[in-house]
Amino acid sequence: MYDTNRRVENAVNLNDIKIQARKVQVYYGDKHALKDVDVDIQDKTVTAFIGPSGCGKSTFLRCINRMNDTIPIARVEGQILLDGEDVYDRRVDPVQLRAKVGMVFQKPNPFPKSIYDNVAYGPRIHGLSRNRGELDGIVEKALRGAALWNEVKDRLQEPGTGLSGGQQQRLCIARAVATSPEVLLMDEPCSALDPIATAQIEELIEELREQFSVVIVTHSMQQAARVSQKTAFFHLGNLVEYGDTDDIFTKPRDSRTEAYISGRIG
Amino acid sequence: MPLSWALLASFLLAAAGYVVGRGRALASVGSDARRLHSRPNYHGCSVALTALLPPLAVLAVASALRLTDVLTDETGAVVGILALVAAIGGLGLGVMRIGQEFQARNVVERMVLGLLMLCSLIAIVTTAGIVLSLVFETGHFFQIYDWKTFLFGTEWTPRFQGNSQLGIVPLLWGTMYVSAIALLVAVPIGLFAAIYMSEYASRRVRGFVKPAIEVLAGIPTIVYGLFALITVGPLLRDYFAQPLGLGNSGTSVLTAGLVMGIMLIPFVSSLSDDIINAVPQSLRDGALGLGSTPSETVRQVVLPAALPGIVGAVLLAASRAIGETMIVVLGAGAAAQMSLNPLEAMTTITVKIVSQLTGDSDFNSPETLVAFALGLTLFAITLVLNVVALYIVRKYREQYE
Repeated sequence: MYDTNRRVENAVNLNDIKIQARKVQVYYGDKHALKDVDVDIQDKTVTAFIGPSGCGKSTFLRCINRMNDTIPIARVEGQILLDGEDVYDRRVDPVQLRAKVGMVFQKPNPFPKSIYDNVAYGPRIHGLSRNRGELDGIVEKALRGAALWNEVKDRLQEPGTGLSGGQQQRLCIARAVATSPEVLLMDEPCSALDPIATAQIEELIEELREQFSVVIVTHSMQQAARVSQKTAFFHLGNLVEYGDTDDIFTKPRDSRTEAYISGRIG
Repeated sequence: MPLSWALLASFLLAAAGYVVGRGRALASVGSDARRLHSRPNYHGCSVALTALLPPLAVLAVASALRLTDVLTDETGAVVGILALVAAIGGLGLGVMRIGQEFQARNVVERMVLGLLMLCSLIAIVTTAGIVLSLVFETGHFFQIYDWKTFLFGTEWTPRFQGNSQLGIVPLLWGTMYVSAIALLVAVPIGLFAAIYMSEYASRRVRGFVKPAIEVLAGIPTIVYGLFALITVGPLLRDYFAQPLGLGNSGTSVLTAGLVMGIMLIPFVSSLSDDIINAVPQSLRDGALGLGSTPSETVRQVVLPAALPGIVGAVLLAASRAIGETMIVVLGAGAAAQMSLNPLEAMTTITVKIVSQLTGDSDFNSPETLVAFALGLTLFAITLVLNVVALYIVRKYREQYE
């Protein structure tokens, strides 16, 4: 089912919980898209959300940084606590929240700007640097962090849209990393990429985990098994099972999980 | 008359050809349509087209010859008969060709392709014709009038008894001044309206506001002209020009510019709205996901992505402004003068084209022919604008999948 050699053993401090979701409900108009989701996401851990299409995993991901606010008919109930603070509290500004919770999307979406300006975008709007030199440093660090520096260091002023698909996606990761987020959300970041680019991104995710907690939505169970330490299985808007990735894939407790990972549903 | 009768007869023959061709095709295979190469309809169409196209060609050639005076009006009957003969010949040929193996579908396909090519050719040829007619008359004008005086003369005083000063510079100045004011009004308002509609407005508000703005585009320009003449002009004169001691004219560059700007708002906003909507949602999500506010997203991501299209829209609006006539006639006045004061009456190239061609003077006098030189200049300006617009759009276009 999955490659045990690439699985990473790790000792996660169970008390170090970054995101706590309690009784989260999402409605799109009349449709109840997500029902009663309770989950604790740990810091410095890769958590994978798996499940068939339309099961609510992307919806839940977009609740964490309130991207669902941009959809007029979406309504969210329940609590999502980031470091103990409810992100849906009236006093929380979604703009500041999103600076703390970065996001990488399914399709690479570099801005129509130079590579440099793409990465510098976040630091600039949030005022993270005092001068050009500092900004240069942030950009270089982010690009190195996204394993893209060596490929683009000689053409930072060229448009970001001119890169290959895999490079574009790493640019988008660099762009998210540059604002030094605490959580990085990834919505099927490899679905538009070829296997080699996918492998590069997966390697990158493993490195990013040292700095912050990564939540990744994926359609590929092999990918979930390779990159994550925790896995949550969603089905028809319910969070069916959540636990250590090893357990989910070797001894699932719920029959639906077993059916999905063995390919009988989804 | 014989020509239109011939045309009508050709159409009737073509219709008959359709029925005959269809019937003959079916008859050739004993009513079993599956044994035909092409469906019976295609056989009918192929006969109809072979009957219709030759007479049309004959008629087209005849009209072209008559335009160049090779043929006189008296030859009409001969041409009509020729067209009929061509139709009957085509019909006969078309019917003869029909059989089980005849590839009528491919023949019809080729004819349709030819028809489509012809239509696009007509558009191009007509444009070329317009330009050529302008060029010829302008040539006549420059034979009797010095081109340097026309292009660089700063005085415009046409006299019907001759000896006129026909310098384009004051008209050009008026045109540019009015257009600049119009764009200063239309571009910010139109663009901001477009941003509101595409980025902020709810679907309900948008459904109401967009058509409301587009109503402005449906108002005839002469009505805008009236508005300029009876409302805006006197208003500006009484509350700005006179109190400030800047002039005493009811018509002014500012009047025409403001009203023209209002006319262009729906133009700019509608085009920009479409262009902004075409920017992929993923770019907005990306910017919002990094913690940009909606206005930062618009300013730093959406607008730069939409910029080529917006520049194109603005240049299109500029072409409209330069070519606009009625508002200027009624709003800006007819005095050809160069002044920086926007509250003074000035005039534009288009207004002078109208006034030079609607006079009673001899067509071959420089006072009349100058209209064509003015028209050609106008055409050249808008052509340059369009070329620049295309260049900008190409240079800054970003490819989105």
